[in-house]
Amino acid sequence: MKYLELTVGAVLVYNFVLSRFLGICPFLGVSKRLSTAMGMSGAVIFVMTIASFITSLVYRYLLRFDIDGRTVDLGFLQVLLFILIIAGLVQLIEIMLQKLSPMLYQALGIYLPLITTNCAVLGAATINANNNYTVLEATIFGFCSGIGFALALLLFSSLRERLELAAPPQAFQGTPIALVTAGILAMAFVGFSGLC
Amino acid sequence: METILFAILLMAVIGLVLGLVIGWFAKIFQIESDSRVELVTELLPGANCGGCGKAGCSDFAKSVVSGENPPSKCPVSSKEQVTAIALALGIDAGESFQQRAVVCCGGDREQTKRLLNYNGVVDCVSASLVAGGPKGCSYGCLGMGTCARKCPFGAIEIINNLAVVHRELCVGCGTCVAACPRGVIKLVPADAEVHVYCNSPAKGPAKRQVCNVPCLGCRKCARAFPNKFKVDGFKAQVNYEAKPLPTADDVQAVGCPTGCLLTADEHLKIEQNEPEWSPEK
Amino acid sequence: MSKSSREVLSFQGGIHPSGDGKQLSSGNPIQIAPLLDRYRVMISQNVGKPPKPVVKPGDTVKKYQLLAEADGFVSANLHSPTSGKIIGIVDVPGPMGTLVPAIEIEADGLDEAAETWPPIAWRDADPADLLKRVGDAGLVGMGGAAFPTRVKFSPPPEKKIDTLILNGAECEPYLTADHRLMLEHPEKVLEGAAISGRMLGVSNIYIGVEVNKEDAIQALGRRASEYGVKIATLKVQYPQGSEKQLIMAITGRAVPAGGLPMDAGCVVQNVGTAAAVTDAVVSGIPLVERVTTVTGEVVKNPGNWMLKIGTPVIKAIEFAGGVTAEPGKLILGGPMMGFAQKSFDVPVSKNTSGILLLPVSEALTYGSVGCIRCGRCLEACPMNLMPCLLGNAVEGEKFDIAAQNHVMDCIECGSCAYVCPAHRPLVQHMRRAKAEIRKRKK
Repeated sequence: MKYLELTVGAVLVYNFVLSRFLGICPFLGVSKRLSTAMGMSGAVIFVMTIASFITSLVYRYLLRFDIDGRTVDLGFLQVLLFILIIAGLVQLIEIMLQKLSPMLYQALGIYLPLITTNCAVLGAATINANNNYTVLEATIFGFCSGIGFALALLLFSSLRERLELAAPPQAFQGTPIALVTAGILAMAFVGFSGLC
Repeated sequence: METILFAILLMAVIGLVLGLVIGWFAKIFQIESDSRVELVTELLPGANCGGCGKAGCSDFAKSVVSGENPPSKCPVSSKEQVTAIALALGIDAGESFQQRAVVCCGGDREQTKRLLNYNGVVDCVSASLVAGGPKGCSYGCLGMGTCARKCPFGAIEIINNLAVVHRELCVGCGTCVAACPRGVIKLVPADAEVHVYCNSPAKGPAKRQVCNVPCLGCRKCARAFPNKFKVDGFKAQVNYEAKPLPTADDVQAVGCPTGCLLTADEHLKIEQNEPEWSPEK
Repeated sequence: MSKSSREVLSFQGGIHPSGDGKQLSSGNPIQIAPLLDRYRVMISQNVGKPPKPVVKPGDTVKKYQLLAEADGFVSANLHSPTSGKIIGIVDVPGPMGTLVPAIEIEADGLDEAAETWPPIAWRDADPADLLKRVGDAGLVGMGGAAFPTRVKFSPPPEKKIDTLILNGAECEPYLTADHRLMLEHPEKVLEGAAISGRMLGVSNIYIGVEVNKEDAIQALGRRASEYGVKIATLKVQYPQGSEKQLIMAITGRAVPAGGLPMDAGCVVQNVGTAAAVTDAVVSGIPLVERVTTVTGEVVKNPGNWMLKIGTPVIKAIEFAGGVTAEPGKLILGGPMMGFAQKSFDVPVSKNTSGILLLPVSEALTYGSVGCIRCGRCLEACPMNLMPCLLGNAVEGEKFDIAAQNHVMDCIECGSCAYVCPAHRPLVQHMRRAKAEIRKRKK
């Protein structure tokens, strides 16, 4: 039951993009085409899961430990370490993608290295730490948050592909109408609140 | 003191582990990349117009580095840019051949009869599919701006329902040539000043019925300068292969009876001087 | 067959154009057009390769004499509509708005016929002989497509054809040429159907007629059984006469996307072509004239005329007494799928089913606004496409999206544009998308 709550909560109720408003930059940046949005979603799910796993390990066992009966508290290193780990992971993905799918690598462009500074990934790691999740819980939470991000991104990119065929007034063309759409999408997700 | 030590140690160890993993990954997923391709891509204009026949500037850069194309194959780059690329790669620049687009039609709203009250989609391709377009002449410019919208350099303007090329902006990439459903736009050597502004292969009297400024095929120009003009069927053409090309003085000397033999500047000026035209329109 | 128990067939989608204008000409019998002193016969009157002229300027020709010879398989012979002297090959305005070559004939006024072919006893004849005769006579689809009939009747052996459908739906408003033909010459149509069936080796033959042509249904019904032809009554619904919709209505089969009627085991033929088949096989004369409706609110005496190919449209209108008011638009074919013309000098060709003059008030055009997403076009589209989406895709020049959504299956019937409350030029968008997609494939 606890895990179900964790899953539904991360995917729908506390959706990273549409309720917590984290990770808006790639949400707007790579949502023009469904195919690139899918690639980005995969990358984010991967980074978030692995990052949640490693950061919760680091948080639980390396940042606070006992030596000779005394407690050493390295909590102040939390953000620094998390970013270091996320940056390393993103680097790995970049190296892999460049080799395995150069087209996707080109399409993602600047947004791929920007996952490093993507607040959603750091946010997941920080929420894990604040809620004192176990390593398993943290990994599930990270994976589901990634799924939630992917859901929002895929929904939005499908909408944007259809938006291209519509002819809004000139002042609304492009990003403005995309932002309006994102707002309406976020309002729709409010409907999930209270579920858990 | 202890805390500081542990902090430094922790950061160092994690940094080291990550560094090793990344290094190991980089080795596994190593890709062969040629830094020269990037260099050439940067030196190219980056308009991705496709005038070279490749998919875009980076694709062209690859073909230049591999020796498939000389740098001069890029129609957009100036001579200086081409030389820079050739110098960077240490290869021969190749013979530069600059081209310009020219709309071979002078039949604007005033000059060519309209036989159909057309109010469909304002697009040349669409219009040409309805009874061959509203114009009396089925070879001339439709003037609905498909070429102007496609031009990546904004070099074509529609004045008085006729497309005219601003030569100083045109780079000769050929996008407009492919866009035009009528095939009115042609690529000519960049130094050619004089053109025959008529595209219709129809007989003289038939053209006369629908247009005030057709080429009647009277051979006046070809008689005056047999090397510079040739007559093909019922239409005269500038002989772009022969040098020297005709000049503005030659146009004066010929005295074309319908005024379809013009310099490119005159063609633009005539349209801009039309009484109803204003740049705001 | 009582009227109440009769099954009325139809397809899904389509529209019901109001005020179909058929009453203008449906009551008047087919008249023979007077002889003109000059005909301009377009060389290319068929889909595929234009035939090669075999006459020279100055030659004297007789009626039915060969003017141009089919050039290749998908091509059709062309014969002289009258006797006279060949003046030469001239450029005439074609129905698609461009100048096309035509053979100009100065008639000698005698209308003297050349020797015709011997009749063929078709009931026992070899289908190959019949096919050859149809090819020699230069038959093409007279409903509008002008596809050479010989090619249509030579399906590849791997396609199993079991049904022949004669198209007498005539769903286009204003046109009554097929109606009058079926009413006045039912035996010619029925015999042509039976001959066509023999050529294809098919005994399952239908004639589809819309219920608003009750007199034609009865005229055909009296003798249909003699020729082994069944009559299918169809609902009055546009585009009932489009071959894919006709097959759906009569046999319930769907032609696969991008396919031809033969992929559904059917061949569809216009009733006018069937009558021409009878002429060619039984009377031994080639196709040089056809029934054409000359109509419109501004035409003085609308009706149907037996016009020789090469008759200028302006002369055909003169036969009908000229105009009573300034015409707003000249259309060859019906108002839904016909082609607007720039010139009155367009000659009548083998596939000119109608000459329509719309008054200025009918030719009124509206400014179009953006799609309001009402979905009426979705209901009207007989091919189950999404015209609104396709239109948007074309307006945004996203031709790959249009291609993904099967714009190539559009039959350009105009139902979507007819019902669109925003007056969007949807058919024109479809045509543009098709042109652009074809260009890219090259």
